[in-house]
Amino acid sequence: MSQPSSIQRRFPWHILFFLAPGLLIYVTFSVYPLLDTLWLGLFQEDATGQRFFAGISNYQTLLLDAAWSEPFWNALWNNTKFFIIHMLVQNPIGLFLAALLSSPRLRLSNTYRTLIFMPTMLSVVIIGFVWQLLLSPIWGISEGFLYSIGLGQYFDAWLGKESSSLITLALISVWQFVGIPMMLIYAAMLSIPDDLIDASVVDGSNAWQTFWNIKLPLILPTIGMVSILTFVANFNAFELVYAVKGALAGPNFSSDIMGTLFYRTFFGFQLQSGSITMGAAVATLMFLIILVGVMLYLFVVQRRMKRFQL
Amino acid sequence: MISLPGLKHNTGKTLMTHAVLLTYTVIALFPILVIIVNAFKSRKAIFKDPLALPTLDSFSLEGFEQVLGRADFGLYFGNSMIVTLVSLFFVLLLGAMAAWALTEYKFRGNLFLAVLIAMGIMIPIRLGTVSILNLMASLDLVNTLTALVLVYIAQGLPLAVFILSEFIRQVPKELKEAARCDNVSEYKIFFTIILPLIRPAMATVAVFTMIPIWNDLWFPLILAPGESTQTITLGVQQFIGQYVTDWNAVLSSLTLAIVPVLVLYVIFSRQLIRGLTSGAVK
Amino acid sequence: MADVKLSNIKKSYGNTPVLHGIDLDIKHGEFVVLVGASGCGKSTLLRLIAGLEDISSGELCIGEQQVNSLPPAQRGIAMVFQSYALYPHMTVFKNMSYGLKIAGKGKDFIDAKVREAARILHIDHLLERLPRELSGGQRQRVAIGRAIVRDPNVFLFDEPLSNLDAALRVKTRVEIGKLHQELGATIIYVTHDQVEAMTLGDKIVVMNQGRVEQCGTPLELYQHPATRFVGGFIGSPKMNFIDGKVAAIGSDHIEIQLSNGCRSRACVEAGDLKVGDSVTLGVRPEHIEERSDAGTLLSGDVSLVERLGEASFIYMTLGDGTEMVVRGSGESTVTTCERIEVSFAPHNAHVFDSNDRALRRLKPGNVHSTAQLAQLKAVGQETL
Ligand SMILES: Nc1ncnc2c1ncn2[C@@H]1O[C@H](COP(=O)(O)OP(=O)(O)OP(=O)(O)O)[C@@H](O)[C@H]1O
Ligand SMILES: [Mg+2]
Repeated sequence: MSQPSSIQRRFPWHILFFLAPGLLIYVTFSVYPLLDTLWLGLFQEDATGQRFFAGISNYQTLLLDAAWSEPFWNALWNNTKFFIIHMLVQNPIGLFLAALLSSPRLRLSNTYRTLIFMPTMLSVVIIGFVWQLLLSPIWGISEGFLYSIGLGQYFDAWLGKESSSLITLALISVWQFVGIPMMLIYAAMLSIPDDLIDASVVDGSNAWQTFWNIKLPLILPTIGMVSILTFVANFNAFELVYAVKGALAGPNFSSDIMGTLFYRTFFGFQLQSGSITMGAAVATLMFLIILVGVMLYLFVVQRRMKRFQL
Repeated sequence: MISLPGLKHNTGKTLMTHAVLLTYTVIALFPILVIIVNAFKSRKAIFKDPLALPTLDSFSLEGFEQVLGRADFGLYFGNSMIVTLVSLFFVLLLGAMAAWALTEYKFRGNLFLAVLIAMGIMIPIRLGTVSILNLMASLDLVNTLTALVLVYIAQGLPLAVFILSEFIRQVPKELKEAARCDNVSEYKIFFTIILPLIRPAMATVAVFTMIPIWNDLWFPLILAPGESTQTITLGVQQFIGQYVTDWNAVLSSLTLAIVPVLVLYVIFSRQLIRGLTSGAVK
Repeated sequence: MADVKLSNIKKSYGNTPVLHGIDLDIKHGEFVVLVGASGCGKSTLLRLIAGLEDISSGELCIGEQQVNSLPPAQRGIAMVFQSYALYPHMTVFKNMSYGLKIAGKGKDFIDAKVREAARILHIDHLLERLPRELSGGQRQRVAIGRAIVRDPNVFLFDEPLSNLDAALRVKTRVEIGKLHQELGATIIYVTHDQVEAMTLGDKIVVMNQGRVEQCGTPLELYQHPATRFVGGFIGSPKMNFIDGKVAAIGSDHIEIQLSNGCRSRACVEAGDLKVGDSVTLGVRPEHIEERSDAGTLLSGDVSLVERLGEASFIYMTLGDGTEMVVRGSGESTVTTCERIEVSFAPHNAHVFDSNDRALRRLKPGNVHSTAQLAQLKAVGQETL
């Protein structure tokens, strides 16, 4: 910025030194592959493995040919449900826990926080297996538990049923990741000055009114950010379904989401062999979905929710 | 006591708060504890009374013996360690260097590069997997840990640059200007003044970089599925896929994957949570 | 009527006592100023009165009612915070009307109330703005407006002016004084600022380490500080203290052998003092004169002279190293390093015993008091 002009006239080697290594790796292994994928989606391969330009025909197949479009729309719809469940369950619970944790002079607050956040640290794969075991009718631990609290008749092999496997998986994921909205919202709540809360108490509002009228509006930007993080993570999810239900996302693709569809398309499964170019096309569509979400957030949601200077 | 009514009211509320938080804590921990506890029981005891603690009678390490006999968990663990630490080192170093260059120097293309890197925070690198695999194949890096490290560096850099830039911007101008007046080189300013100053931010970045790498299944599965390069996450996944019906083995392998992480978590939870809740990540 | 009565109010945070039994009687319509060093518990006391903290023991009455366990909104109080604590996401109008809305008041009522308060405070034109679009002084007014609309019996102010610049602080201070007359409500006001305390308060309460050190009108505190702490706290520059021993006891005065070797006479009641007891002599800078014949003579080296125009503060060191300040005239020709002689009259001396309690003064400077107070205020404004 403020360097002597003698340095500025020479080639700025130091900038290159600082920037080049990181940038090189980032561009080679992130930017280029992404662009290359978008490009690859426009090609097809013939029987000999020869690639040729095919325009948008991959996308036509994917969106219009029943053999491809059915799984695609199924996965997209499932993924949307997956996201909606997170928004309706994970974020409200996170908000609720954060509100409790930020009660003034609460003892053990740190301990609760640390423990509740613990599952978030573990690998999704591990968590998937843990719940697979816990919900397994063979082991019967959940069934036994439900009987002990008088709800035994409601037990079912939830993960194995078409009607409930996706919801169950989503709830497992909610259980694991509730710590993230909790932490971020908690931090936002801590940054609200105490005086503001005191002022609203003096103004006569009870705890609920203070939360609703003062705290919530002030943490709205954080909730917006949590939502977009959830969106990106959900439409990029793969591990949980893969670990619990395999690449086929059974039963009968009822738990198929974009990540598993992408994996199957790319690597093939059972009778169908994998296709690099079709895989690239699916990835491109995922990219577009995420891009639209992020853009909506940046240009609509974030604009509306001004950050209030506290 | 005159103020008793008021106090009582508050005590009731506090009790409720504790009750709810405690309940949720149990919900969060119970499933994990059940797995760990049962890993130390004999097959019969696992099924007879899953919620009981292991007794002298039911205590058994057979699961662990099988796991350690059939799969090389030590190797997997070592692979994960190497990949995570090496990636972390480079993400921190290269990330700090890039953040410094982007915030400190004005040059053509500065803004473009900043935006390009910022995009990487939101757009998952996974979407480029098809080409990454091609690329690794042509570089002859498939089934090497190097492939994983390279991808993870690319994955971790954007957030690292973002967070570290925020911190570098807060370093007082006077420090740098004083050094420049003394004719200290730009390299020395960075390595001896800036790097030490942004150490706290590095801790935050480390947390955000490390966890996703350690827990990742996708890239190990695709880029390095070979027996000798499996990470712990992939190893456990493959192992359990193979021995689904062997409950002792499954429970033990899960325990082996969970416990080290939990131990590390308990040790570092303070820093980690401070990192998560610090203002740097908005 | 809303007298505020505190009886033996105590407060501890966990095992740390912060207030050790506060007794105060505040009459309806009185303007009471709480002063004291940082951390002495002023804000805590205010928050106890507001109901933002639980009282550990003791009794708090507002009006006829014991309010220990009433929530803040039902105590008939309103509070103005140092940080203003305006809700950042609400317009000025909404900020001011929030309390009324919570109380379930009608729309027309709220509208009328807010507009009236805004008119009084001259913020009518700002009602649709957000707090961040206001200047510091405007925010301050909104904060006061928010208190006014609730028609409280008692206003609580916690250092409301400390975030304003000097000029604005003086202006707002005057306005708060007017507002008090206009509203006729009881005001309890915490401040660090001498001049605010002296000019605004009907009564000043000096606190020290969780206790009330003294409570009285500004003049009482100025003329008859009950303890050495109050003597040093009220007045600017600070009262000078010189250690000494009682040398002789007369009927209307005592004589003190000062540590610098001088002997001084002070017009105070001896009480139980005996010859030889340790005492501290206190004398205000404005009562020391730049001549040698006013009474007790002190000589020392000038270490610094601050010239304010209408007065000069002369800092000098006595023979034994005691530091002193003298308020000399604006035309004083004294220069640094010069050796000078100054003196003060026996009836202007304060004497504190070894427990730092003041001895009763016999010939207080009543004759000059009003003029002196005016002078004090002038000095305060000058130093702002
Ligand atoms: N929530 C709390 N927990 C523990 N101690 C507290 C708490 N609030 C205040 N204190 C202690 O009580 C004492 C009095 O604090 P208080 O805020 O009333 O001081 P103050 O007179 O208002 O000071 P200042 O002039 O700096 O505002 C201080 O020693 C402070 O450390
Ligand atoms: Mg205070």
